Amino acid sequence: MTFLLTKIFLKSSIQKMNEQYGVSSNKVKKLKIMLYAFLALYIIGIIYIFSYNIIDGLREINQETTFIGLILLIVLGFTAVQTIFSSINILYFTKDTDSLLPLPIKPYQIIWARTNVLILVEYFIDIIIGLIPLIIYGIMLNCGTMYYVSAVLAVLLLPILPIILISLIVMVVMSFSKITKNKNRFQLIATLLVLALVIAFSFGITQLDSTEMTDEQMIQMITQANSMVNMIKGYFPTLEFGINAVTSTSVITTVIEFAKLIGITVIAFAIYILLAQKLYFKGLIGNLYGGSKKKSFNSEIKSKRTTLGRVYVAKEFKTLLRNPVYLVQCILPAIIFPVLCIGIVVFGFNGDEAQDLAELSAMLQENKLLLLFGIIAINQFFSMIIYVSATAISRDGENAVFMKYIPVSLYKQYVYKTMPNIIMNIISILIVLGLARYAVEISVLDLVIAFGVSTIMAVFQSFLLLLIDLKRPKLKWSSEYAVVKQNFNLIFPMIFSFVNIGIIVILGLAMEEYPAYIPVAILAVAFMLATVILCGYLKKNQYKLASKIM
Amino acid sequence: MIEIKNVSKSYVKGKKSVDGLDLEIKNGEIFGFLGPNGAGKTTTIRMITGILEPDDGDILVDGHSIRKEPLEAKKNFGFVPDSPDMFLKLKGIEYLNFLAEVYKVPLNERKERIESLTKKFEIYDELNNNIESYSHGMRQKIVICGALISNPKNWILDEPMTGLDPKASFDLKEMMRNHVKQGNTVFFSTHILDVAEKLCDRVGIINKGKLVFVGTFDEMKEKFKEETSLEELFLEITEE
Repeated sequence: MTFLLTKIFLKSSIQKMNEQYGVSSNKVKKLKIMLYAFLALYIIGIIYIFSYNIIDGLREINQETTFIGLILLIVLGFTAVQTIFSSINILYFTKDTDSLLPLPIKPYQIIWARTNVLILVEYFIDIIIGLIPLIIYGIMLNCGTMYYVSAVLAVLLLPILPIILISLIVMVVMSFSKITKNKNRFQLIATLLVLALVIAFSFGITQLDSTEMTDEQMIQMITQANSMVNMIKGYFPTLEFGINAVTSTSVITTVIEFAKLIGITVIAFAIYILLAQKLYFKGLIGNLYGGSKKKSFNSEIKSKRTTLGRVYVAKEFKTLLRNPVYLVQCILPAIIFPVLCIGIVVFGFNGDEAQDLAELSAMLQENKLLLLFGIIAINQFFSMIIYVSATAISRDGENAVFMKYIPVSLYKQYVYKTMPNIIMNIISILIVLGLARYAVEISVLDLVIAFGVSTIMAVFQSFLLLLIDLKRPKLKWSSEYAVVKQNFNLIFPMIFSFVNIGIIVILGLAMEEYPAYIPVAILAVAFMLATVILCGYLKKNQYKLASKIM
Repeated sequence: MIEIKNVSKSYVKGKKSVDGLDLEIKNGEIFGFLGPNGAGKTTTIRMITGILEPDDGDILVDGHSIRKEPLEAKKNFGFVPDSPDMFLKLKGIEYLNFLAEVYKVPLNERKERIESLTKKFEIYDELNNNIESYSHGMRQKIVICGALISNPKNWILDEPMTGLDPKASFDLKEMMRNHVKQGNTVFFSTHILDVAEKLCDRVGIINKGKLVFVGTFDEMKEKFKEETSLEELFLEITEE
């Protein structure tokens, strides 16, 4: 039964992805395969370059096994962070739970099946970030079959413990939802609390790192990472068993280490199932049926004239902000990531690095083009994690048909639906500019120019992403989580950002000799024109583009 | 008035979900649209409201073609879809204010309209809560209030009685009767044959995409020469 349930849960999410893309002709299928193949090669290529350089460097100082520890640690860390979001959504915010409870299925079977889905979802990313580098390691060091078997086993077994631990924490937090009066606010606070813990943890790790780091070569940095691996090993014994099993050349040691790893995992899983039976349904039922605190109505009926655009955009924002899944996946990244990434670089610098920053600032003063294009490129980089436009239609699910029966032109609605993405982009741009102003000397005029051009590019990208969502909306979903995770469209923000960064780099190189403002002006005009053309296309084909919404 | 002129729609090539449908819903009448599951009722309603584009034919709402003048046509009807699970994260009052803005309801009428509709359906005190916290019936009521907020001449309702309690159901039927008395139109689909029999001035029965009967209940009995219930007649017509 557990296996069958797992299959059903998995199948329903895969089917939903297929429905989004519909039945394609052979030509389209071939194109899709080519695109996937290209993407796979691209990702493998990047991982290869990254892995090759590190392994090669480590080999020179006879520290190559450190690489295995590092990769397994990354697998563990990635799994932990991913699970925080996926466990809340897969365990609690899936709509089919409601129809599952009345069926004669034993509680542990539901928990087991849901946990299996969690684990299988994590495997997808773990194979990419864990197994590929380990295979590259094996090839470079001519490892035998035992190494590959051990590597596969380690990547498959290690994530289980962090997944069940984090799921248990989530269950404990969610079990309070039954006793909270305001269910919505609780869900929001719980999500933000878990997120805050992750950020605090990541800042802690960086602080730890930066105090140990010197201004020497990357290899030494990686070697120091070994001390981090050792530190984490203390808290996570399975990591040590995993590393020992993969790095050992003795069959007996490998078997013993795996026996320990499997033993601990099996015992932990059994304890997990026992505890989860007590915790999971408490929170689940609270989540499904726990009523919100009712507020009586004292007339808030609008008596001031406002515009439809303002009301429409406000409605979009309310949906985004009040839904924990959308808040975490669509809104918060625009604020958190620039602060986290640039903040760590700017505020984490001390001693030698601060000196570097001053030198960089002086150098940028002499090369204005590099300064402006650099900031615009950074803004483009951060725009890839803003999913508001890319999910604008899909978020409405089957209710997206509402757009088609109200007496408001579809084009106008497309513009309103794009606005939140543009606004979130502008917030992200302002954060980047604020930090840039703090870190390097930059004139107000240049700040204004960087803001203007970045915003023009953001507007274009926002409309382009809406077009993608219109062409391939994901309208049938059982949980909001599917819109922001099981949605292939979300690869496009990344693709467009990289293409735009490529354009910036090429233009910068080609026009290096010109005064800085000329290439910047060309970039701005080009994107403005592109936006006008794109909006013209959206307006002309507004009804045809909505044909998938039905 | 709603005029459906020779409308056809296929989802799959060679299989028509609605086939050459001709229908006129006159001013001052309640028209019940009946048919078994998958007969083409929802597809027809989706074409009338502009959600789906017909392959052939046209639909006019108060003389405005849904294909050529979609915005004008849409201004003239209020629509209640089959699922009331909409805008769940909005408060009831936010949803109604939003629709009032969409349909450009004058400010001086808005307050009064919202109050009278929500008090009639007994959801006035719930307006400050998220729609998500409403029961199925309450969600259905707020969607009906939203559809009627602009006081549209034509009401198009897809299974409007589903989930309503007896009082709300009674009130809605009363509102339908009063609405058509003022020379307006109500077009609704239903599975509840009793309601259709007692409420509708005329009914249309669709089966496998084709309109198999249109007329009054008496005309139906006349045509089939039988003194029997609508339920039995319906089964007989749709089994053919």
